[in-house]
Amino acid sequence: MALVDARGLTKTYRQGDVDVPALRGVDLALEPGEFTALVGPSGSGKTTLLNLIGALDTPTDGTIHLNGTDLGAMGEAELADYRLLHVGFIFQAYNLIPVLSALENVEFVMVLQGRPRAECRRRARYYLERVGLAELAHRRPKALSGGQQQRVAVARALAAGPRLVLADEPTANLDSETAAGLLALMGELNHEEGVTFLFSTHDRRVMERARRIVRLRDGRIAEPDEGHGSHAVP
Amino acid sequence: MILLTLAWRNLWRQARRTLITSSTIAFGLGLALVSVGLGDGAHNQMVRGGIRLGEGHLTVQRRGYLEAPANHVFLEDGTEVLRQVEAAGVPGRVAPRIFLQALISSANNALPGGLLGIDVADDPQVDALRPTLVEGAWLDVGDPRGLLIGRHMAERLKAKLGARIVVMAGVGGETESQLGRVRGIFSTGIDELDSFQVVASLAFGRRMLPARDGRQPLTRVAIFLEDDAQTPVWREKLAALPLPAEAQVLTWQEMLPQLVTFIAFDDAGNYIWLLFVLVMVTFGIINTILMSVLERTREFGMLRALGMKPARLLGLVLAETLLLAGVSIVEGWIIGGAGHWYLATYGLDLTSLSPDVLKTAGVMMDPLMKSELSPQRVAMLTGIVFGTTMVSGLYPALRASRVPPVRALQT
Repeated sequence: MALVDARGLTKTYRQGDVDVPALRGVDLALEPGEFTALVGPSGSGKTTLLNLIGALDTPTDGTIHLNGTDLGAMGEAELADYRLLHVGFIFQAYNLIPVLSALENVEFVMVLQGRPRAECRRRARYYLERVGLAELAHRRPKALSGGQQQRVAVARALAAGPRLVLADEPTANLDSETAAGLLALMGELNHEEGVTFLFSTHDRRVMERARRIVRLRDGRIAEPDEGHGSHAVP
Repeated sequence: MILLTLAWRNLWRQARRTLITSSTIAFGLGLALVSVGLGDGAHNQMVRGGIRLGEGHLTVQRRGYLEAPANHVFLEDGTEVLRQVEAAGVPGRVAPRIFLQALISSANNALPGGLLGIDVADDPQVDALRPTLVEGAWLDVGDPRGLLIGRHMAERLKAKLGARIVVMAGVGGETESQLGRVRGIFSTGIDELDSFQVVASLAFGRRMLPARDGRQPLTRVAIFLEDDAQTPVWREKLAALPLPAEAQVLTWQEMLPQLVTFIAFDDAGNYIWLLFVLVMVTFGIINTILMSVLERTREFGMLRALGMKPARLLGLVLAETLLLAGVSIVEGWIIGGAGHWYLATYGLDLTSLSPDVLKTAGVMMDPLMKSELSPQRVAMLTGIVFGTTMVSGLYPALRASRVPPVRALQT
């Protein structure tokens, strides 16, 4: 069974008196463990699709199932729990909590999940070490570089134990070397943890690392095809 | 715990703004504590003065006297009333008194006045009036004719120490008059006392109000309790005694209704003023917390995206408000406490307004006003400020919890 099964997804936004279609009947299935890139020009619907799959927004039409559960049948509280327990987010702008240290940022989602304090601390330290930032655990985001902040965001997303990680242009604010390092790390974690990654990008160098590419244009899937594999994690 | 840590640190993101807001709240509370302390101090002083120079915490007198004081309205068996009250074991002092409206005459003039016959050794009036003597001495127990008169009365009667004074009063259709001599002249600063009151021994008073059918009358029995708070308790106990039917037990509030009304109006005025201060503080708090929430719209959207439920986000902002309230209240206690300590120790000197005692609602008020702040008042004002702060934070907190995550992340 597919981890994510989206059918006929349509999303239309109202801007003044005009209806703006962001997605027009998108079908997308993601298997467990996939490392997939959503690519397309600005305005193609990448972020909208990620928001719908991540239950940050609701479709105008169509259905989304996560591991067999229909998101459309959930209320707001259930969707919040869905995001909390099953989805990790990595944002373009890092979106770390500025007044918490790197370690506390990584712990944060686990605290919301209600895990015991010791477990939160143990897993947070593990993932910070895994992303290479153990020695910076007590620094606050403003004392970290962009790449370091995004690594903390990756650690936060994975430490909570999600089945699916959604990353919206995770390397957009990073230089090419840092971006490459981050993508490599995400690929390794995908391979080690078996967590499904779906990230959006319009950067060709990032696309090359994906094992599958889904192209979007004008709110529709253009050419679903496989990735090149040369930068995939073995 | 991490959420409380987050709330505390969020509070200090904009430290200057937080300090300004907390200082605003703190000054509001501090001002309220000082204002209420001074007000309560003045009121308590007036009450103590009214009780001390008046008829005590409780008075037993004839029913109807309060509404229409007259010489013929007295406790016929005053001695029996006194005996029962003393036997009840009242914790304080019990003072038998005779009071008659009289004509006070000297060789030079005649004036209306009031004769007050008291136990010149034991009555609390001794403690109140003796320090105000400006000439002569207090009355001796064995002096059957001694009188004390006020400074203004002495001036108008043109009477000096040793002068002969005739006291004449009508009682029950008969006129009684007695001759006395001025042993002392007092000056309380209260015109009603200095112009009107003549103090004599109880024996002098009994000659004006003689015994009938073997029963010694009294105008009243005044009771001065050691503990003000026991007034309602002892009122009930004395009312339950088998007193003569015409006897009535009254509290100082019933004896001094003008003072009670003044205090109530003054309190109400103070609270209206405090309400204005609270309203201004409220708007300041709402503005600050709302700004802080609007600045963090994207962050709140991120928290919602991570799975934080609206109720928890509401709780986070309310926790920030709670911590702000806590910091502000501690600051307010320090400011108000310092102000109260200074005013309780040194007082606010209004002598420049009036060198003599101030008269308000018929009682004496010392121009040196000292603050008196009870724990109950501190708790009440703290509770009001705390509640106001929390209510002020409610709208911004609700606003924060209602932002849809995707819209917030777009900002």
